Amino acid sequence: MFDTAQRAELLSLLGRRELFSRLGSGAGALALACLLHDEAGAQSGYVPYNLLPKKPRLPVKAKRVIYLFQNGGPSQVDLFDPKPELTRQDGQKPGEGFVNDVDAKKTGKWLGSPFKFARNGKCGMELSELLPELGKHADEIALVRSMVSEHENHEQACCHMHTGMPEAGRPTFGSWVTYGLGTVNQNLPAFVALLQPGGLPVDGARNWSSGWMPPVYQGMPVRASETTPILNLTPRIPAKAASSRLEFLQGMNRRHLASHSENLELEARIANFELAARMQVAATDALDVSKEPKTIHDLYGLNTAATSVYARQCIMARRLVERGVRFVQVMMVGQPWDTHTDNSNQLRTLCKSTDQPVAALLTDLKQRGLLDDTLVIWTGEFGRTPFAEGKDGRDHHKRGFSLWAAGGGINGGVSHGATDEFGYAAVHDVVTVADFHATMLNQLGLDFRRLTFHFESRDQRLTDVHEANIVRQILS
Amino acid sequence: MRPILVESCFPCHSGQAKTLQGGLRLDSRAGLLKGGFRGPAFTAAKPEGSRLLEAIGYVNKDLTMPPKGKLSEEKIAALTAWVTEGAAWPKTGAKPSAASASTFSIKQRAAHWSFQPIVRPVAPQVQPRGWAANAVDRFILAGLQKAGLKPAPQADRTTLIRRVTFDLIGLPPTPAEIDDFLADRQPGAYRRLVDRLLASPRYGERWARHWLDLVRYAETDGHEFDFEKQGAFEYRDYVIRALNADLPFDQFVREHVAGDLLKPRIDPTSGRNESLTATGFWYMGEGKHSPVDLKVDEGERVDNQIDVFGKAFLGLTLGCARCHDHKFDPISTRDYYALSGVLKSSRFQQANIVSPPGMAEAVRSLQSVRTRMLAVSTWQLAGIAAIAGIETFEEFDGTNFGDWMQTGSAFGAGPVADVLRLSGRGSEARIDALGASGAADSGALGEKLEGALRSRTFRVSKPFILYRMAIDGDTEVNLVLDGFQRIRDPLYGRLKIRANSNGKLAWFSQDVSKFIGHRGYIEFVDYGPGKIAVDTVAFSDKSVPQEPAAPRTASGAAESGVVEALLLERQAIENSILAPVYAMAMTDGTGEDDVVHIRGSYKTPGAAVGRRFLEVCSGANQQAPARGSGRQEIADRMLAPTNTLVRRVIVNRLWHHHFGRGLAATPDDLGFMGLPPSHPKLLDWLASEFLAQNWSIKQMHRMMVLSSTYQMSSTGDVVSERTDPTNRLVHRMPVRRLEAEAIRDTLLAVSGRLDLKMYGPSVLPYLTSFMEGRGRPGSSGPLDGTGRRSIYMGVRRNFLNPMFLAFDFPVPFNSMGRRNVSNVPAQALTMMNNPFVVEQAGVWAARLLSISETDQERITRMYRTALGRSPTPDEVSQAQDFVQSQETGDTVQPQLRAWQDLAHVFFNLKEFIFVR
Repeated sequence: MFDTAQRAELLSLLGRRELFSRLGSGAGALALACLLHDEAGAQSGYVPYNLLPKKPRLPVKAKRVIYLFQNGGPSQVDLFDPKPELTRQDGQKPGEGFVNDVDAKKTGKWLGSPFKFARNGKCGMELSELLPELGKHADEIALVRSMVSEHENHEQACCHMHTGMPEAGRPTFGSWVTYGLGTVNQNLPAFVALLQPGGLPVDGARNWSSGWMPPVYQGMPVRASETTPILNLTPRIPAKAASSRLEFLQGMNRRHLASHSENLELEARIANFELAARMQVAATDALDVSKEPKTIHDLYGLNTAATSVYARQCIMARRLVERGVRFVQVMMVGQPWDTHTDNSNQLRTLCKSTDQPVAALLTDLKQRGLLDDTLVIWTGEFGRTPFAEGKDGRDHHKRGFSLWAAGGGINGGVSHGATDEFGYAAVHDVVTVADFHATMLNQLGLDFRRLTFHFESRDQRLTDVHEANIVRQILS
Repeated sequence: MRPILVESCFPCHSGQAKTLQGGLRLDSRAGLLKGGFRGPAFTAAKPEGSRLLEAIGYVNKDLTMPPKGKLSEEKIAALTAWVTEGAAWPKTGAKPSAASASTFSIKQRAAHWSFQPIVRPVAPQVQPRGWAANAVDRFILAGLQKAGLKPAPQADRTTLIRRVTFDLIGLPPTPAEIDDFLADRQPGAYRRLVDRLLASPRYGERWARHWLDLVRYAETDGHEFDFEKQGAFEYRDYVIRALNADLPFDQFVREHVAGDLLKPRIDPTSGRNESLTATGFWYMGEGKHSPVDLKVDEGERVDNQIDVFGKAFLGLTLGCARCHDHKFDPISTRDYYALSGVLKSSRFQQANIVSPPGMAEAVRSLQSVRTRMLAVSTWQLAGIAAIAGIETFEEFDGTNFGDWMQTGSAFGAGPVADVLRLSGRGSEARIDALGASGAADSGALGEKLEGALRSRTFRVSKPFILYRMAIDGDTEVNLVLDGFQRIRDPLYGRLKIRANSNGKLAWFSQDVSKFIGHRGYIEFVDYGPGKIAVDTVAFSDKSVPQEPAAPRTASGAAESGVVEALLLERQAIENSILAPVYAMAMTDGTGEDDVVHIRGSYKTPGAAVGRRFLEVCSGANQQAPARGSGRQEIADRMLAPTNTLVRRVIVNRLWHHHFGRGLAATPDDLGFMGLPPSHPKLLDWLASEFLAQNWSIKQMHRMMVLSSTYQMSSTGDVVSERTDPTNRLVHRMPVRRLEAEAIRDTLLAVSGRLDLKMYGPSVLPYLTSFMEGRGRPGSSGPLDGTGRRSIYMGVRRNFLNPMFLAFDFPVPFNSMGRRNVSNVPAQALTMMNNPFVVEQAGVWAARLLSISETDQERITRMYRTALGRSPTPDEVSQAQDFVQSQETGDTVQPQLRAWQDLAHVFFNLKEFIFVR
């Protein structure tokens, strides 16, 4: 929130008159927009909200987030959590207490992973052969093998992972972060949901909704396509006509302002047109991956059929955070990791299309010195059953799954927590979704207990009523 | 032992716990014995059965402690030994504190202002007398004068007509309307303007949208597949009609809460059963297609219903009392679960809402055909072999349906002795008896009638439910468990039977082994074309009856000529019956009280609580409903003169919409955490006047917009701005941005594309390439929504209109009485580049050019149409310069494009979307 002290400071620095004269001069205009919006908000009885950068209370380890969300629920025992005992008992009936929470009747026989695991990096982190490129970054990532969710349905589990609670309507993780931190580049959206050209993920815009927070904190959908990454970004008329039209418009608006100078809300609006115009330029530039050299294209696999979609998303994500976007949430179409049938072949395809781009993203961030203060998170909403569903699939599973994070003060090379010998339930150092959120917020300098938003007569948190512990073991 | 307890248990279950969990303390032996919400942790009489051991053993998946991971085998062994040996405790242990004892007092908290009786205040005497047009002004002026302020001067008439027209009908005044108003110099011109607007059908369309925000109106379920809610738009149409007809608000509320239980109120024009349609609001929430835990899903669904009910009608956050007594307001968990019982005793119905005048007569005629069929046919029943091993639930042998509940008319007055079917033509015409021994038959009166028959609520106790029935056409059998209606694969396909038994009685079995212990009811539905006859319903351990029924023989005989005559007569009657029109509605089920769910979980049931309204409003000793849900009693109590909330809430909402901010600025929460009213006496005066005016919403509009307060300019003087910077005292009118819908409607009105067609199915959303995804409608709607008003644009949860969202359209998940009013760059981008906006600029330009006039005249017309005022000479010449110099790059239609660019500039003016 824009606090009183900050506002007073801005006012004394610039003065109202001064601000007006700076209209149209970049930062001044935006400061004005926020400032005026703030006052206008106060006037109409609404609490003001804005995206100006805010100083967090805790030490800052990470300044921005790239959140690689793997919708559908990736299979932990095939990717991150080797289980020799599961392989040994492949085809046998699970004992008492191992049930499919989705439907107990669908509890199949143990299904060992067909994939080999190897030790990677100096730390010796065991990862599946499906992730050879990620393996090269083993010393940079912290792997959590003891995640638990409370829900075995996609919708509730996704909602829980994104908003802290299973019911729809709450702000998402990215909204909380932008609410808590604002953003440094006012010419670009603070929170971007980076989508695939093929379409929306399951549950659509809810995955980046600001819920009951004002829409300034909602994710802006950006599509990783060559042609139209942002809806309505560019005028549909020639640039010259657009610019003369804008000039004429702003002239009319200013004259109107001059005759009704008491209305601050109107003033803020002028700045918005200029901001929108600047966003046209800034965003078009930020999302133009053709500006990257061929070496970068090749590093991510942009020109290889299998990897090109995810590569484009990862390059765009890097270009966006590089320019100060606070939170980039990379989403996949539908819920590809939902491998109810033909689990192993589906995983082969999925890893083939994502392993290289993800690893390239880590490499690229590192070589630019960005990894240190960029938090990269890779997770789904839950995992999958270690026993079969049908012949060769795996069902939804909440009792134990894996995720990883890198950069932003994360201690690379750590493998944290453990599931039982079958990969069924997390048994050691269990990490809840609330723990995960609290830990990530902590890295951004935000105290999950104190980052609150007043709604429905109470101070709400990302973790809501859940108790949470910061997982110190994965922090450096 | 202590180290284990200290490390693993005390963080949540001791005096040192930040928040004591489950009401349980393990830092004393007394705490162990006293236990928590689930009962004692230690049972001295049978230590090995102690709950503590159950919890640490991870044997009950709903009670696993510590929650984050099972203790090591050694620790479990040690604790087990300690417990089974009697849980010895050193003498120094702390006594269990009263941590879980409640300090909650309804009486104390009821002192909050919104619960106080409404005593009609006397409007203060103020000077000068001339300013105050009515009582509203006297309260406002007194408040201003007390602060040493003066009201802003009256707004000029062009401003006024624009303001009140947008406010009441959501569209701009036309140039002709402006001229008429400016020309009307007789006294009462403004009053006549207001009356005209309130009488316009556009009024209902505008204000219905405000109401839809309160009931999270949407036409799909959201979630994974975004399934359609059948007939959701009927509810929207109901609200529009109710507002246009100025339906007294108490009746409006009564219809929402219990419309299915009232004498139907039929709309004479459409034949719609209005009161029944109103109950659809209960079902506007999100729906999950395959929730894993039905009881959790039921809890969430009912929670959303209670929350919306509380906020929309009572201005209370009832949802807060789901897990604990409300932290601030006089609402206990008992209140919450009293209402939960009411809702769980109510059921969903896909209801036929057309009820034309001749319907009862048609049913009587069909009954007469049936009687004559019986008279001309003879048949014989064979003996019926008893079936061993099944538990009969219903045989439909009696003369009435007993405790079965009927909606619609298909099932007639009661069970029939045997199922008779008329068929054939000419000499082939015949009557067949299917061989039932008493049946509920939706085909007894023919094929056309629709209706449903629902059982009492029962507990699933055996793995199979068997039905002996003849089921054909658009009919189905549903087993509705825990109120879960939206039955969808993959998990719940087996709960629905749709089949075709070719006009013969056959056994069907339904595997419910997964659902033993769940409560629910059976529903036989006939949607119209088709018929279902049910002879027997039974519960069984096996999927087929152990002994199949001995074949029963039946024969019917009658002269074919007589039969054919009957058949033709029946067809003629059926042809006169209108096809059913379905909407979502509520119907009563078996009345059953709910129990308090400790910490909001059904897994920790507490004490039962009777179905009733809030204690703070209607006392602790409310008479329990004799049968059914008790919704009618709830409506009566809400609307009792002593209940102050409903009236305070609605007049405050009206004020909020007229003045931009409620007298109490948090319109959905008049509880302790809401903001107190700026003018409490005015609020009470309005609430009292509302009753005196027989709950007339339109009278309240008149009271507010005819006030001098409403007619003030939006420019305050310097002193007032300094003293009252937030305008809390209403020293001037606020400047307001149009809502998303009004912006779109205005674009259409200005361009000339607006189509004023009312009601009916919504226009499919225009789908951009960004809106691919599961549940996407098969085709995209047109870019301009065929010119219909925004209220007729489909509201699909997963495909909400991006333009609307940019302008703060609320995501429909809960009551939203106060929209955000944001000012973000996405709005500028939308108005500059959205293809719909661009298109409308083109439509407008083409229309302008089709009128033969000079540039100056055309520009003047644009100002008057879009901004409701005439331009200054400077403005005309500037616009002219722009059109002449604008290089559009279009060589085919350079003139059209230049005017389109100018039109587009108008759409982007602040003046276009802000109302002063």
